[in-house]
Amino acid sequence: MDLRPYLDELERFADGQLSEAEQEAFELRLAQDEKLSAAYEEYEQFTADLRWVAGHETLRHRLRNLDKRLDERQAALANMQTRTAAPRIRWGLLAAGVAFILSLGLWLLLRPHPLSADEAWTRYYVPEPGLTDVAAQATKSPLLIDAMRQYRAGHYPAALHSLRRVSAATVADDTLLYYTGVVLLRHAEAGAARNYLTRASEQPTSALAGKARYHLAMAQWRTGQLPQARTNLQAVAADPQNPYQLHAQQVLRAKVLLPRD
Amino acid sequence: MPQPLADTLTHLRVGNQTFLINFYQDHRDDFAEWTRQRHQLDRAAAHELLRSILVEFYNQVADGRLTKLPPDLRAHLYGMADQLPQAAATTALPAAEARRRRHLLGLFGQLSPDCQQVLMFFYFRGYNFKKLAGKMGFANATVGRLQKSSCLRRLYELHLRSEE
Repeated sequence: MDLRPYLDELERFADGQLSEAEQEAFELRLAQDEKLSAAYEEYEQFTADLRWVAGHETLRHRLRNLDKRLDERQAALANMQTRTAAPRIRWGLLAAGVAFILSLGLWLLLRPHPLSADEAWTRYYVPEPGLTDVAAQATKSPLLIDAMRQYRAGHYPAALHSLRRVSAATVADDTLLYYTGVVLLRHAEAGAARNYLTRASEQPTSALAGKARYHLAMAQWRTGQLPQARTNLQAVAADPQNPYQLHAQQVLRAKVLLPRD
Repeated sequence: MPQPLADTLTHLRVGNQTFLINFYQDHRDDFAEWTRQRHQLDRAAAHELLRSILVEFYNQVADGRLTKLPPDLRAHLYGMADQLPQAAATTALPAAEARRRRHLLGLFGQLSPDCQQVLMFFYFRGYNFKKLAGKMGFANATVGRLQKSSCLRRLYELHLRSEE
């Protein structure tokens, strides 16, 4: 049945758009007019189905819109987490970088660095203490006594001056050679000291020969004669009678006499 | 305010869909994880499946096919995931009625979005013409009435054409 001829009237009746009189009249016609009554029944079924469809579609639309909103919220949250995490990561990296630079600086500052040649020599050289007054007086040479006093006091030029005036007749050669060499070495004249010390170390019967060899080696080291210095120190290190044996071994162990790049 | 569970069916029958909307919001992610493990569905497909289940559940309640709330509603709804779409419960309706409704649903989808909205507001939400006009941005209640009438006529004409 085609409802279109009745649709307007049925709709106004169903939607409560008729006046009271119109409604009464329509209800009367419904009771008498079979075609109108059938149309009304069909219209009611059609709108009942439409109500079902509308409920179905309303829920479907609401769920779909909610789904979209939840997706957007989750995306916004994820974005926010990314945005808040990014500065944290940046600051973390910056802090790590600063800590690294500080650690590097501290390490460079505090790391054990190789000694310069001068530092190494000063560190390892064990100076001759010089004769004590008592020992010097045994020589009965006032100039030697004075030279030793000046040496012990660190007045090396004065000590040299006195030593050079000591008569060879009163003090043995090896003693004069040895102490002159030692004082020159302390006075930073290693080149000159070498000559005296070489001669002192070559005195086969001298008790000072062993000690002279140590100071000679140190004078050679000081003047850059490293192979010779090493040879002499090896001899000192191998001599259990030499009072400088341990000091010589220490220098050799430290490998400071190897040529530098 | 949350509805007591016992009132849920009553509310659904009179068109209050809030319970299902809240259920979807609360269980969407959980259901997606459940179906990922069970059916290897991706998130979007799982969300769509849950929406279909909730619409189907609503239909069962609205049609009067479901008269008692299952003791474990979550298990019941999740269980429907194993049955859809085979058990689209309209099969439990008289075949003619189910066919008629599905047919009308298809025709409804051919209307413009505005027409669909007008008919949903009027026939499901029960808005009067004044409120309908306000919601749709029409000038007044009369325009609302005329628009609704025009949309209903368009749907009926689609129905007539489909029967030819």
